[in-house]
Amino acid sequence: MSAVLAPAQRVQATVLATQGRPRGGHLLLIALAGIAAALGAWAEIVQIQQGLKVSGLNRPVGWAVYITDFVFWVGIAHSGTLISAVLFLLRARFRTAIYRVAEAMTVFGVMTAGLFPVVHLGRPWFAYWLFPYPNQRHLWVNFRSPLMWDVFAVSTYFIVSAIFLVVGIVPDAAALRDASAGWRRRFYGVFAAGWRGTDEEWRHYARAYLYFAAFATPLVFSVHSVVSWDFAVSILPGWHSTIFPPYFVAGAIFSGIAMVVTLLVPLRKVLHLEELITPWHLDMTSRMILLTSLIVTYSYAIEAVMALRAGPGPELSIAAYRATGPFAPLYWTMVACNCVFPLFLIASKVRRSPAALLGICILVNVGMWLERFIIIVTSLSHDRIPYDWWGIYRPTMVEAGITLGSFGWFFFWFLIFVKLLPAVSISEMKEEVLHEVGHAA
Amino acid sequence: MQPERGVLGVFAEVAAAAGAVRTLRKGGHAEIRFAAPAPYPELVEALGRPRSRLDSVTLSGAALGVAGGFALCIGTALAWPLMTGGKPIVSIPPFVIIAFELSVLVGACVNLAALAFSAGRGRRRRAVPYDPRFSADRIGVFVVGGDLGAAERTLRAGGAEEVRHVA
Repeated sequence: MSAVLAPAQRVQATVLATQGRPRGGHLLLIALAGIAAALGAWAEIVQIQQGLKVSGLNRPVGWAVYITDFVFWVGIAHSGTLISAVLFLLRARFRTAIYRVAEAMTVFGVMTAGLFPVVHLGRPWFAYWLFPYPNQRHLWVNFRSPLMWDVFAVSTYFIVSAIFLVVGIVPDAAALRDASAGWRRRFYGVFAAGWRGTDEEWRHYARAYLYFAAFATPLVFSVHSVVSWDFAVSILPGWHSTIFPPYFVAGAIFSGIAMVVTLLVPLRKVLHLEELITPWHLDMTSRMILLTSLIVTYSYAIEAVMALRAGPGPELSIAAYRATGPFAPLYWTMVACNCVFPLFLIASKVRRSPAALLGICILVNVGMWLERFIIIVTSLSHDRIPYDWWGIYRPTMVEAGITLGSFGWFFFWFLIFVKLLPAVSISEMKEEVLHEVGHAA
Repeated sequence: MQPERGVLGVFAEVAAAAGAVRTLRKGGHAEIRFAAPAPYPELVEALGRPRSRLDSVTLSGAALGVAGGFALCIGTALAWPLMTGGKPIVSIPPFVIIAFELSVLVGACVNLAALAFSAGRGRRRRAVPYDPRFSADRIGVFVVGGDLGAAERTLRAGGAEEVRHVA
């Protein structure tokens, strides 16, 4: 067989097969995700009707599950850009088979994260006040506030990630358009935007794609740094720390890649993508999880060391409160999930075992959600003003419902995406398999 | 837009298509185009087209974003001069964040617009006859103008599995 013919055909056939009519199991999952999202919407309606009193928010804990969810989902969104942009610039070959899933996850992750500042407002109908535009109130937003930086950082991240995803789909949509009939042909035709694969199109496309990657790369580091400044710019012990930006960025990449693997392992099985997403891809991705886990562990250690070095005072008191106070079980679960279980990835057998990898990644997801909860809630609940003193925060069913709804919302869009658009980049895989054939020869 | 009169060769191998393109160029054919399912580097190199010049437009967009970001923040601060904590009204360090975000945002949007415009124009000006196989597993090499008989012979000798004249 020729160098193009056989591998390219196989890639296209494999991806095209994922685009068929969804089976019962897939439809069931979409339905379950939809029900969870609807439950979240119902909980939000209850909160709008009755006010924030239905949440567990009170003095001194004014930020809790909603902000935890916000930071968690922004973090989940991070690895998509890392895999698609940073690894593209570094010419890491293993990204080719997995980056589309990661990019889609990024877009849906930011879509989910964006809900939470609005949910947290209590009066979501005033959300538009966050955006700067001439208005009858003669009020402008305060650009010196980190919350305003967040609005710009997250909005920019969403738009750039969405552009990156859609532009990447264009050549693949053209391939699917030419291989489809009926409504799918028209649907893919919209995404293909008239693409013919001519040398002129590829010439401009390659250059533009490089620029998209170059623009997206600093976003990987800036967005979660900005999110960390929501906390670090305040003077609250437990938040006011210069280590927060790198600590948050590493944690975001850690949780994001863990979520990529959580999605990839079942996806490659259900959509029969084992030939394209191989144990080697999982292995390379696991190494990134291991590396970022070590950075996160180092950050935890540094936080503790800084508190000890500072001596008796607010920092040490908050560190001790986290490790021994009422939230200690959650703290130590977080340490186990984020620092201990990922160490199993040192063994190559574990890195190449989809089941073991999936288990570890789910634990990492749990651990990283808990990390954000610990940072936010313990710092606030350990107050220092006599009339606020200390307060134990407990989430209510409404908050649990909205959190569950966010997972439903995320998976609903993701499950629809993988059935409507290619979960693996066809054009880049065609190039990649040719590269492999060349090397084998 | 219909492609001009020329000869189209259909290839199943990248190396063969790239070889044919090189031979055609050596033979004096100035107008050679291709359509392929992926931007195979060997083929792109053989064609020897200059690098796209989207850079200047895209970077101008990014610069516009920086300027717009600072203008928005400074203009806002001056329009609503509220002194807080003894800090200056126009405080540049926090505005750098907004300027950075807008440079990325405007740069990416301009890049997208430039890509859509350039690729669309290129597709019309250097059209290749449409064939669904060119987005799947075949490469089309299209020669316009010059000695089309010689081009046909070169394409056949280069390993084209199908050669046809386009009126």
